[in-house]
Amino acid sequence: MSLTEHEIEHLREHIEHYPEKRAGAIYCLYYVQDKYGYIPRASLDEVSELTDLSPTQLDELITFYTLLRRRPVGRRLIRICDSISCYTRGSEQVLAAAKEASGVEFGQISKDGAVTVLPSICLGLCDRAPAGLVDDSEDLGELTPEKIRDLICSYAAETLDSKSGGGQQILAVLKDQQ
Amino acid sequence: MEKVLSRNFHHAQPLDLATYRAGGGYDSLQSIFGRDREEMVNELRASGLRGCGGAGFSTGLKWSFLAKDAPRPVYLVINLDESEPGSCKDRQVLYRDPHTIVEGVLASAYIIGADKAFVFVRGEYKVGAAKLEKAVQEARDAGLLGDNILGSGFSLDIDVHLSAGRYICGEETALLNALEGYRANPRSKPPFPAVKGLWGQPTIVNNMETVCHVPSIMHKGAQWFQGQGQNGGSGTHLFQVSGPVKNPGVFELPMGVTARELIYDHAGGLLDGRKLIAFQPGGSSTPFMTPDQLDTPMHFDAVAKIGSRLGTGGVIIMDDTICPLKYTRNLIEFYARESCGFCTPCRDGLPYLVHLFDKFELGTATAADHQTILELCGLIGPNTHCALAPGAVMPVQSALQLFDDEFKKHIAAKGCSYSPVAATASQAAAGAGVQGGHH
Ligand SMILES: Cc1cc2nc3c(=O)[nH]c(=O)nc-3n(C[C@H](O)[C@H](O)[C@H](O)COP(=O)(O)O)c2cc1C
Ligand code: SF4
Ligand code: FES
Ligand code: FES
Repeated sequence: MSLTEHEIEHLREHIEHYPEKRAGAIYCLYYVQDKYGYIPRASLDEVSELTDLSPTQLDELITFYTLLRRRPVGRRLIRICDSISCYTRGSEQVLAAAKEASGVEFGQISKDGAVTVLPSICLGLCDRAPAGLVDDSEDLGELTPEKIRDLICSYAAETLDSKSGGGQQILAVLKDQQ
Repeated sequence: MEKVLSRNFHHAQPLDLATYRAGGGYDSLQSIFGRDREEMVNELRASGLRGCGGAGFSTGLKWSFLAKDAPRPVYLVINLDESEPGSCKDRQVLYRDPHTIVEGVLASAYIIGADKAFVFVRGEYKVGAAKLEKAVQEARDAGLLGDNILGSGFSLDIDVHLSAGRYICGEETALLNALEGYRANPRSKPPFPAVKGLWGQPTIVNNMETVCHVPSIMHKGAQWFQGQGQNGGSGTHLFQVSGPVKNPGVFELPMGVTARELIYDHAGGLLDGRKLIAFQPGGSSTPFMTPDQLDTPMHFDAVAKIGSRLGTGGVIIMDDTICPLKYTRNLIEFYARESCGFCTPCRDGLPYLVHLFDKFELGTATAADHQTILELCGLIGPNTHCALAPGAVMPVQSALQLFDDEFKKHIAAKGCSYSPVAATASQAAAGAGVQGGHH
C-alpha cells in the first residue's frame, strides 16, 4: 500500500499553493481515503512526510473531522440525518429500519460487506426530510423505512453480483423479516 | 420582487459560462471595476444588506473595519459550511448555479481589495464543490479570474476547499483554523479576523449568500435592493421551511415576508390534520415563535423584537404530534455532539442537559431536575468560548417558558404521553427544489 510517484507529485503540487504545508493535510488525507476507502497506517507516514506533521498530529485531525476514518467501511456508506427537520418527519424509524436491514450496529460493516450505516448531523437536505447521503455524493430524500430497506437490499444484491462476492447473508436476513 | 439568487434555478443543469453570461452574468463587473472602493462599501451599508450566515451583521459595516493600509495579502473567505439543522439554502446555489457564487466572490473581493479568496465547503457537499471548481476553472480560462482581470489591474484566484465534517467549522474563527489544517477550535476574539485572520493576515469572512447579493446591489443600486424587501426588510432572502408541512422547500422571497405567508402560502401549510404549536424562525439555535406571532415580518429586526432571531431564515415547524420535550432534546443532542470540546460549560454542560431531558422521557424526572435545567442554561449561556453553546441553550430556555406545563405533566405522569414520531416522508417529487416568489 503506497502512493505512486505521480500521486505524490500531485499532492505536493496541491500543498504548495498554501503558505503552510499543513493546510494541505485534509486534502491529502481525503486523497488516500478515496483510494483505499479509509486511511491506513502506511499512508499516515506518507502524508506525514508530505505535510511535515507527525502521524500523531494527523491522527488529531482524523479523530476530529467526522468524514475521515482510520477503518474500512462497507462498499456503500449510508449516512442518515437525525437532526431536527428529519426527526420531525420520522428519521428515527428510518434509522431503525436501516440498522435492522444492515444486520449490524451503526458504524459496522454488514456481514456481506455491502453497507455501513451511520447517523449524521443535518445534511442540508432539510427540505427533503428525512434525508440521507450515500458515499458522500448521492442524495437520498423523502426516506421511509421501506425505501431504506429496499436500498440496502439493492446494495446487497449489487455486492452479490460484484467480484467481491458476499451478499447472501443480508438477503437471508431481509427475507426473514418479510 | 426580482429573483436574484435563484434566477437561474429553472434550468435543469447549472449554466456553463457562456449561457450564464448571455443572461447578464458578470455584467455587474462593469459597475464595479474602476469605481472607488470606499464609495462602494458605503453603498453597501446604505443598502441594508446583512450577513446571511446567522448573525445578521451589516456587511458594509464589517467591510469598513478592514484598514485601508492593511498588510498584504488580504483574504476573503466564503463560509459554505452550512450545517445548522433547518438550513439548506446555500446548497441550492452551490448545486444549481455555481457561477452566481464566482461572480459574488469576484465582486466582493474587488471591493475589499482581497488578494485571494477561499471558498470553504462542507465535506458533505462534495459534488457541489466539484461543480463550483468547474465554474472557477471556466472563469479562469475566460480571464475572469487570474492576473489583471479584464484589464482592470485587479488580480484574484479562488481556491475551493473541501472540509471534512463538524458543525463547528462554520464558526468563522474555527473555520480559519480548519483551513489552516488545525482542529476546528474557535479562536479568541479580539483580534477579529479583519485584523488578524487566515495565517495572521487581515481576512473578511462572509456567508455564501451574503456575497451573492453584492453584484446586483452594485449594478442596480442600494435603493433598488431596499425596494426588494417588504415590511421594513431589505432585499430578498432564500427562506427555507422544513418539518411537517405539505411543501417543504427553499423560497427566494422579499426580506420581511410574514411568517404566515412563508409557512402557509409558500410551504403549503401543515400536513393534513396537524396543528402548528411553535416554529423556529431561523435554524435550530433560534428561540421558538408561536402561532400568534405568524404575522411578524421575517427580517432581522422584527424577529429580534419579539425575542427570537432570524438566523439563517430556515423555518422549522413543531406540530401537535411531537412531544415538545422530545423535540427540544433532539436539538440539544445535536449541539452536545457537535461541541468542539474546547470549553467545559459546553463540553460537559450540554450532555448533562441531554441526560436531564432523558429523565423526563423515562419518567424519573423530579421538580428539582426541572429547576436544574433552568439553572444550567443560565450557567452555560454566558460562560463559553464561542457562540455554539449559547445557541444551544436559547431554544431550551424558550421551551422552558413556552412548555412549562408540559415539563410539569411529564413529572406528574412519570413519563411521556406522546407517541413516537411517525415517519411521514413527503409525497413531493424528489428534487422539488427552490420555488419562486409567486406561483
Ligand atoms: C457554531 C456556529 C456555526 C456557524 N455556522 C455557520 C455556517 O455554517 N455558515 C455561515 O455562513 N455562518 C456560520 N456561522 C456564523 C459565522 O461565524 C459568521 O458569523 C458568518 O460566516 C459571517 O458571515 P455573514 O456576515 O455574511 O453572515 C456559525 C456560527 C457559529 C457560532
Ligand atoms: S462553546 Fe462549545 S463549540 Fe464553542 S469553543 Fe466551547 S466547547 Fe467549543
Ligand atoms: S435536518 Fe436533516 S437534512 Fe437538515
Ligand atoms: S419526553 Fe420523550 S416523548 Fe415526551
